[in-house]
Amino acid sequence: MRQIAFNTHISGKFNTELEDLRNSVLTMGGEVEQQLIDTLKAIRLNHSGLAEKVALNDLRINSMEIQIDKECMRIIAKRHPTASDLRLVMIISKAITDIERMGDEIERMARLVTKQKIPNSESVKSSMLSIGEKVVAMMRGTFDAFARQDDNSALEVYDQDNRIDSEYKRLLAYIVKEMESSNESMQDWLEILWALRSLERVGDRCKNICEYVVTLTRGEDIRHTPLENLSQTLENLE
Amino acid sequence: MNKSRRLFSQGQRQALFIGAGAFFTGLLLLAMISIVLLIAARGGGYFWPQDVHRVSFLSSVDDQPKTVFAQIQSEYMQDGQKMRWLQLSDAQSPYGRQILLESNRTLSLARAPEAARVALKDGRVVLAEPVSVESPESTSIAVARIDAVRENVAQIDARITAIRDDALSQIHLQLTELDQRKVSKNAPARKKLNKAFDRWHSQVLELERQRDSYRLNLQLAQGDDISIPLMDVYSLEHTGQLTAVGKLGVALNRVGRFLTESPKQANTAGGVFPALFGTVLMVFLMTIIVTPFGVLAAVYLNEYAPDNAMTSIIRICVSNMAGVPSIVYGVFGLGFFIYGVGGSLDQLFFEQSLPAPTMGTPGVFWAALTMAILTLPVVIVATEEGLRNVPQGLKAGSYALGATKAETVWHTILPMASPGIMTGVILAIARAAGEVAPLMLVGAVKFAPNLPVDAEFPYLHLERQFMHLGVLIYDGAFHSQTDAKSASMMFAACLLLLVVVFILNILAILLRARLRRRYERR
Amino acid sequence: MLKLFDHEHLDLDNLSDDLTAIRVEDLSLQFGNKHVLENISMRIPKHRVTALIGQSGCGKSTLISSFNRMNDLNPQCRYQGQIYIGDRDINNKKQNVSELRTQVGMVFQRPNPFPMSIYENVCYGLKLQGIKVRRQLDDAVERALKDAALWKEVKDRLFESASVLSGGQQQRLVIARALALKPDILLLDEPTSALDPLTTLFIEELIAELKHRCTIIIVTHNMQQAARVSDYTAFLHQGRLIEYSDSDTLFTTPEQKQTEDYITGRYG
Repeated sequence: MRQIAFNTHISGKFNTELEDLRNSVLTMGGEVEQQLIDTLKAIRLNHSGLAEKVALNDLRINSMEIQIDKECMRIIAKRHPTASDLRLVMIISKAITDIERMGDEIERMARLVTKQKIPNSESVKSSMLSIGEKVVAMMRGTFDAFARQDDNSALEVYDQDNRIDSEYKRLLAYIVKEMESSNESMQDWLEILWALRSLERVGDRCKNICEYVVTLTRGEDIRHTPLENLSQTLENLE
Repeated sequence: MNKSRRLFSQGQRQALFIGAGAFFTGLLLLAMISIVLLIAARGGGYFWPQDVHRVSFLSSVDDQPKTVFAQIQSEYMQDGQKMRWLQLSDAQSPYGRQILLESNRTLSLARAPEAARVALKDGRVVLAEPVSVESPESTSIAVARIDAVRENVAQIDARITAIRDDALSQIHLQLTELDQRKVSKNAPARKKLNKAFDRWHSQVLELERQRDSYRLNLQLAQGDDISIPLMDVYSLEHTGQLTAVGKLGVALNRVGRFLTESPKQANTAGGVFPALFGTVLMVFLMTIIVTPFGVLAAVYLNEYAPDNAMTSIIRICVSNMAGVPSIVYGVFGLGFFIYGVGGSLDQLFFEQSLPAPTMGTPGVFWAALTMAILTLPVVIVATEEGLRNVPQGLKAGSYALGATKAETVWHTILPMASPGIMTGVILAIARAAGEVAPLMLVGAVKFAPNLPVDAEFPYLHLERQFMHLGVLIYDGAFHSQTDAKSASMMFAACLLLLVVVFILNILAILLRARLRRRYERR
Repeated sequence: MLKLFDHEHLDLDNLSDDLTAIRVEDLSLQFGNKHVLENISMRIPKHRVTALIGQSGCGKSTLISSFNRMNDLNPQCRYQGQIYIGDRDINNKKQNVSELRTQVGMVFQRPNPFPMSIYENVCYGLKLQGIKVRRQLDDAVERALKDAALWKEVKDRLFESASVLSGGQQQRLVIARALALKPDILLLDEPTSALDPLTTLFIEELIAELKHRCTIIIVTHNMQQAARVSDYTAFLHQGRLIEYSDSDTLFTTPEQKQTEDYITGRYG
């Protein structure tokens, strides 16, 4: 693994700008992570006030996306970054889109609480929260890998998505059985399925960001590589 | 146009052009080499000691066979005969004369290692076999000990000079003083002085007699004895017995004397020191005068003068001045500086000595001034070239730091242009050192009794006339076409002039190279 | 709302006087019959880097040279309008130009150290001002060379000829030479166009440092350079000021089409 030092440019100003940019992504990531934690808490406690706050907070995240995007553009226009600098700016520009979308997904989950559509089934709810916890861990790992530009841990996090996916599928199967016996309306079940779907999507977006981290450090795009070939590809890169 | 109808094809024309260029360059090189070689060979030959020969021949006066010691000065072929110029010593003229000897009158000619070349202090030469040295004590001291004996003579001579300079001149002064005070002839003081004078004088006479009894006895080729006071002997060279190294020593010794002594026998023998000194001094003075004038004029023209027709006219005039024949400058110097300026100065400051002129007469200062005017265009043109080469950016850099125009010129432009200025000075020096014609009008003479610099106040006598190597050469060339020896001296002076110009140029070029390294980038 | 990045964007049209280093009012300039600058009005902010960009012959070098009256060297130059530095109109004929030039330093395209030692180069301006005390000069030289980030490289060979230095070092020496006079304003006329890219970056970094000491105005052909070093950028075209704003805006979202075309390389 090659650690890229982004603070060794001749121009001290450029160093600061890149550092600020990376930090801003982490700030935004931390914000989204907190949103997810808050949402899970709101679901667990059925705390609609907290859920409202999450929904409101999403606007902050949206504004952050715009600011960071603008800064990326500014840096490209003024600094003409190349190679690792260029990859950094480009993946940040893409990563914040993913992060912002995570925020949107999380907001959708929070709506579940405000609309009082939390599943009555305790087992569904606990399974949902358990997937949520896993996604939080994955998100934390993702931002951690991004902060440290650690592609190995990014790949580890990448693998976590499979477990989330299988757990999600198991839960879906369980919900289908539940739906037949339940007295809840189809409408409510759909809301729950959407929320679950969002949670799963958050995991996918974390996966995307992990891919970006690998792109940043290794300079190789590993998107759309079938999982079986991935290890081969990465070995070739070493 | 059909190319094939031309006389030569493209390639042929090119080859022709290159060929012609190479040919003329080669010719030029050949001419330069032959000049230097001729001057170096003839001039150098003047210093190389020649063998003394014993020559027997039929005298052209009475057809009697005669044997003499002689040195061959030059040889050439004429009507199938070998003609030789001989410098010989015989009973009639032991102090040397020259004859032209045809080979059919020559009976024998062989090297005579026993014979020596004895040069006298007045420049004359005796070729004879040294027999012995005589002193008051002994009549036959070996010739080999001549140096020790000459030491004695020199001591005696020094004593005579000492007495003359100290005691006798003192008494002379006192006598003159008495005369001035009109003291009677029989006054006891005067008598006392006279007595002292007589005593010293007799002592001098005694010493002189003693000195003159040191003699060198020589034998000419036919056995005639001659005796020369050792006092008069300048040098004794046993050239025939010398190895090549020894000859080289003698030659170097002669070069040294040539450079440090005054001419003898109307510039046909002796050294050229006054001429060398005069040349260098004149060039030096000229450089001091011409450099500031030329540089200031060039700075004005290049930096200050408005860009208009007047400036262009001045520029053209300056360039044209470089083409004016030098004799015109000589006449100008004589008419304007000497008669005009010098004459006025005489009337203003030296009225008491008129009509004898003090400044209104040719002298080294006027010569330097005239040469400065003559070389001014060269310096101006070269300096302007140097000034133009100063990068605009440097000037701008200086102005941007708050420098005024004068400060910029002084601190930046002039140092940067100094290599160009040096080029001008080099050219000026080369030109001034080689000029003869104008110098003869304004101060250079064949023989000057005094150097322009001596121990007498004010030490530097700018009004004095001076000797110049070029004039010496010019003079030497007219002495006598047959006088092969002085012709040689002319070549030697020529070689020296060449060397002087060469050294001055080398110095200036070294200085310029230093300045270039310092002030020119890339 | 949370602000992630802090970029200063002053309102250049309504810049307060204590933030203004140079106020140009209606400046027009011609060489002979050729109009080089026409009706330029702008305020250049203090302690910022302002870049002038535009095609060759657009008048940017002439504009920067008019801030220390270097255009006076051309006898054909005529100008109207005022340029205020502080409250003095430097276009006033009574203005002492030498004194002005000590306060408004200038560095040119080619490094032009004088053919003297490094020390003497830095002293040049000070000596012209009549400062002769050795200790004073020593201190000034050391400070100026430190400010120009050259001290470490040359402190052991101050008395060697300046021509032994590399191009970038020479340019920093020239900057030090100007800094020795403690100017309020430093004009840089294409200071890196004769230097290699890496050296250029060093000079640019130096410029970023120097703006804390003086106001910097830089003319450059290199748009990327203008973008990198400048806080504010003015675009000139055919002697007119087309657009003047903070560089972030000018290089990302220019207002004028001419500016857009120039910075995106769409004409000439």
